[in-house]
Amino acid sequence: MITRTIQSAISLLCVAVIALPVSAQEEPAPVSFRKDIAPILINNCLACHGPKKAEGGYRVDSYSRFIAAGDSELAAITASNLDDSESLRRILSDDEADRMPLEGDPLPQEQTDLISRWITEGAKYDAENPEAALSAIVPPPVYPDPPEAYPRSVPITAIAFSPDGANVVAGGYHELTVWNAADGTLVSRIKNVGQRSYAIQYSPDGALLAVGGGAPGRLGEVRLFDAASGELKSVVASTSDVILDVAFNPAGDRIALAGADGAIRIHEVATGAEQRVITSHSDWVMAIAWNGDGTRLASASRDKTSKLFNTENGELLVTYSGHGQPVKGVVFHPAGDKVFSSGSDNKIHLWAAADGKKASEVALGGEVYKLTRSGGFVFAPSADKTVRQFEEGSHTEVRSYTGNADWALAAAFHPETKRVVSGAFNGDVKIWNAEDGAEIATFVAAPGIAK
Amino acid sequence: MKLSRTKQILTAMFAVLLATPAFGQTLEPIQVGTPAIVEAHPAAVKLFGNRQNSQLVITGKYEDGSVQDLTRVAEFTSSNPQVAEVDGTKIVPRGDGQAEIKVSVGGKEAIVAVEVSNHGQVDSVSFLYGTLAALSKQGCNAGACHGSPSGKGGFRLSLRAFDPVLDELTLIREDFGRRADVVSPDDSLLLLKPLMKVAHGGGRQIRKDDPSYQVLRDWISEGLQMDPEGHAKVVGIDVYPPSGRVLKRPAHTQQLSVTARFSDGTTKDVTELAVYSSSDTEVAGVDADGLVVGENRGEAAIVVRYLEFIESTFLTFVKDIDGFTWNNPPVNNYVDTHVNAKLQQLKYLPSETCTDDEFIRRVYLDVIGVLPPVEAVEAFLADASETKRAVLIDKLLDQPEHAKFWALKWGDLLRLTNGQVGADGVHKYYRWLERAFRDNMPYDEFARQLLTSTGSTLTNPPANFYRTADDMNDCVETISQVFLGARLQCAKCHNHPFERWTQDNYYGMGAFFNRIQRKKTQRADELFVYVARSGEVTQPRTQQQMKPWLPGEGDVENPDEIDRRRTFAAWLTKPDNPFFGKIEVNRIWGHLLGRGIVDPVDDFRDTNPPSNAALLDALAKDFAENGYDRKHIVRTILNSRTYQASFRPNEFNEEDVRFFSHYQPRLLSAEQLLDAICHVTDLNETFGSLPPGTKATQLPAPDLVNNDFLKIFGQPERQTVCACERTSESNLGMAIQFFNGPLVYNKLRDENNRFRKLLSQDMAHEDVVRKLYMAAVCRTPSDAELQASMNHLNSKENKVEAFEDLCWALLNTNEFLFQH
Repeated sequence: MITRTIQSAISLLCVAVIALPVSAQEEPAPVSFRKDIAPILINNCLACHGPKKAEGGYRVDSYSRFIAAGDSELAAITASNLDDSESLRRILSDDEADRMPLEGDPLPQEQTDLISRWITEGAKYDAENPEAALSAIVPPPVYPDPPEAYPRSVPITAIAFSPDGANVVAGGYHELTVWNAADGTLVSRIKNVGQRSYAIQYSPDGALLAVGGGAPGRLGEVRLFDAASGELKSVVASTSDVILDVAFNPAGDRIALAGADGAIRIHEVATGAEQRVITSHSDWVMAIAWNGDGTRLASASRDKTSKLFNTENGELLVTYSGHGQPVKGVVFHPAGDKVFSSGSDNKIHLWAAADGKKASEVALGGEVYKLTRSGGFVFAPSADKTVRQFEEGSHTEVRSYTGNADWALAAAFHPETKRVVSGAFNGDVKIWNAEDGAEIATFVAAPGIAK
Repeated sequence: MKLSRTKQILTAMFAVLLATPAFGQTLEPIQVGTPAIVEAHPAAVKLFGNRQNSQLVITGKYEDGSVQDLTRVAEFTSSNPQVAEVDGTKIVPRGDGQAEIKVSVGGKEAIVAVEVSNHGQVDSVSFLYGTLAALSKQGCNAGACHGSPSGKGGFRLSLRAFDPVLDELTLIREDFGRRADVVSPDDSLLLLKPLMKVAHGGGRQIRKDDPSYQVLRDWISEGLQMDPEGHAKVVGIDVYPPSGRVLKRPAHTQQLSVTARFSDGTTKDVTELAVYSSSDTEVAGVDADGLVVGENRGEAAIVVRYLEFIESTFLTFVKDIDGFTWNNPPVNNYVDTHVNAKLQQLKYLPSETCTDDEFIRRVYLDVIGVLPPVEAVEAFLADASETKRAVLIDKLLDQPEHAKFWALKWGDLLRLTNGQVGADGVHKYYRWLERAFRDNMPYDEFARQLLTSTGSTLTNPPANFYRTADDMNDCVETISQVFLGARLQCAKCHNHPFERWTQDNYYGMGAFFNRIQRKKTQRADELFVYVARSGEVTQPRTQQQMKPWLPGEGDVENPDEIDRRRTFAAWLTKPDNPFFGKIEVNRIWGHLLGRGIVDPVDDFRDTNPPSNAALLDALAKDFAENGYDRKHIVRTILNSRTYQASFRPNEFNEEDVRFFSHYQPRLLSAEQLLDAICHVTDLNETFGSLPPGTKATQLPAPDLVNNDFLKIFGQPERQTVCACERTSESNLGMAIQFFNGPLVYNKLRDENNRFRKLLSQDMAHEDVVRKLYMAAVCRTPSDAELQASMNHLNSKENKVEAFEDLCWALLNTNEFLFQH
């Protein structure tokens, strides 16, 4: 009896709804899957319905998966049919035990409205490949402004000199900060950058500034800025975890990315197109370097290996396991036949590119981060708070730069001005004169915080 | 849009129609009645800063002596809401000053005085006592998760926060400070992952309204501060209510409150960040807020952990059982007094006293390991004396087989094997053990001889103790398990995850034993044990040199200079040692009753409380007062009515498996079973080169013979000191052995077996059947059994074969296979 009543109530209601006259108001722009829907799915659903966890046998990490049924075998999304879209029903459910996201706050109404409208409009896909990962099709986010004044400093995980050596560029929070290399005063702030930056590199011609980073555990990307104006030119790649290193090839037409998703990617600089993905490492790729003619890539990984690849075909040539600990930095020897790598074993190793045999090693006082090669030297920042400078050919130590109060995470050198800079865990940036090791400036690279 | 709204409404309608309680246990409504007094805990509280709160626990005390927790139903009013209020059942500070919280329930009132100070100041989250406690509370650093030695998903925490230095590195600094976002705390992976806002292999582990969430978020937003140098340390925690509360249904819930005591004399409520677990979830569960909910009658220890501090509170849940009336069973000695008290409280009715035939079989198996001779059974059953059971007990305890059989039990614990103590040593060590039991060596002397032994393992057999425990780690683990009933292996690498043993304790105990030296001599199989005059232990994690450390006593400043083991042995065997006597009386109890008062018998811990603490205490006291006389304890238990209870349960005790309301039947041990088969068939088994007539229950070591039957039935290899190595679980191999295994088959076919010999003496078939029954199950067959046997005999041409069948059938009865 009760059931009967409800049934008739349903039919009545349906009739009433269908009979409603269509509003004469102006139609808003159609809902875009990649711009409007995909970000909602990424932020609210992907954690449980993704490649790592597919609760209920249902995944939302691509358009085709999102609309396909899960274990319930109920149609997840049916174009133009709100009643036959199980996913929408679960999102709208009033029963907390049933509503998605499970055990979470319900989606705000403007988001549920968007989803409903998108379904009503035909649940269309507006990118190319319906199988593509959502992270790869969402438009690059426009980031919020960095804090006007930082509540606290952030670790300086990336640092570089501008091509003319006048400025130092440091990774900040949702920004790059640009500082006068002579006196440490703030020159400018480049905004619309991911939450954290792990690599900053200028293109060989100095025209482009590449920033690798993202949001830990959520997004990785590389942004290319016009070096002169600070204008965003393009966003290269969109990955599931942060980009930890970037490297332009010597010709400047390719950029290699090292990611916390364990992949090495090579993209065309001009188009941003992905040219190659190398998934040889089983853990984060922490650093990456090209050889002199751009035919080889060396990588450093948290999987405790350093590897050498042929860039023409992506083939793995050599695996070096000598560190026995996560490897954090890598550069080629100038002769190209050897590779320097550094890591959590507190050492820098030099090994042969031909067969991965160790040639020599040097022990430092703490784990050694990303190596940089510049002006005939290799620079090694270390958790022993020191940056060391080695002659690249003979790999003899030239000088060590001390005075940091915390781990030196990143270092750079400008051969013409002969300045060395380091970024430290406590947010300090320190600049030295490479001729005598004298300190030039020290400042906290966080606007609003004075040293 | 309209359609989806419609859908929402309809879904809601269905939800109402189909509504069933989705989660959680149902709580009985509290029947407040008229309490004589209402008590509030704490009676007064001082809150510093704006972060502290204080859990209230309200207790009603009644005229009849009963108590119940009224926290859930009490009403609270503050005299000054600008100073303090009650949110739910917690006092929360609102501003500096003083206030009184009035508690009203059941027509009675109680007052809690509150003083709030420093409310305006930011009370920074402590890394140790906030952050790490919160991570422990949420289970992040559990062994199966990020607390595993290699972490999970590249994120490694120390197990239950035992290594704050490592955790500081991991949480704040590792991977460029990836996990915490000091600019925008809500974007921290440390929060997003357990919230499942970002994919997390461990799933959702925290909610925004969990107290831990606020702690972690505040710690991040305050800039990941470490505790300042010289900050006050927690020195202990107190749990309210203390052990002993009895709740009678419908009262079945108890709110707990936990207070941490600091080195500067202050205290702080840590109820929200403490971790709760129940020793028996069938009896009672406990939720994350510290609310204990009783499910069934029985007892449960609620174990409360706050970082490395562990305390427990013991609660008893009782209820009325329809038709139950206490029948005042007879009391033979204090054992029965304590057992009956527990049974009466929990409303279990003890079973009747067992019959004489059950008793004689049971007591023979327990005291000397074998079945009684047929003549002894006949004489005992015919004996009309009132004291015949006590007389029999005394007689058996004085038989040499008693010493041999109990030497077997200790041989298991001392890992007495040919392989480990050598061919000569194994016999000498066994004879030392056997003599210790024969002479009834006091247990403290027994322990001292083992623990302080030196010299040749051949001339001084107890020195073999340090031959089997062949390094410091083995000594610590062996001695703690055998003599302290504690399994310390975990603490070798990290603080024990569930118990109060820390890594420091492990190495501190090690400092008593690391100077022991062992060297081979020119004599084969001989090892010389001696003590070096120097040598210290370094704790591998902290690199600290450890002072010898004793449980409950702490560091020992002046251990015996010549031999530190003497200091340990003196502490171990002093009469008020809280572990020593209890472990042994419990082990004896376990041997005799089939289940320890603490069970497993060598696993004493807060999370595994005794089923009858008063009984265990009384036995331990009796043991110490009688000079650690093991036979005295065995005799006391055997004479109790509890031991002599029938295995047959009654309607009011069939659920009970742990309070000894009835005897628990158990499969005979491997050695007992082999001897029993030999006894029924009146044949001997030969064991390698051991003298003829040696019984399986008298084997010095398992590796002296290779007997498949014994192995299948769980004879331990004696590779560990764990009593668990001897298994009693039945398996298919056992069934096959009895069905058609070579041992049983050959005994039944043997020309000289019992029934063939009796038949050759022309004994009447009926009498042969009777003798077989007496041999196997210590009783005469019932009329029906006898009739069935005779029918079978009459149906077969070959009478000997018919007896083989009968004897086979007898050997396959549970009555034979089990001690009952």
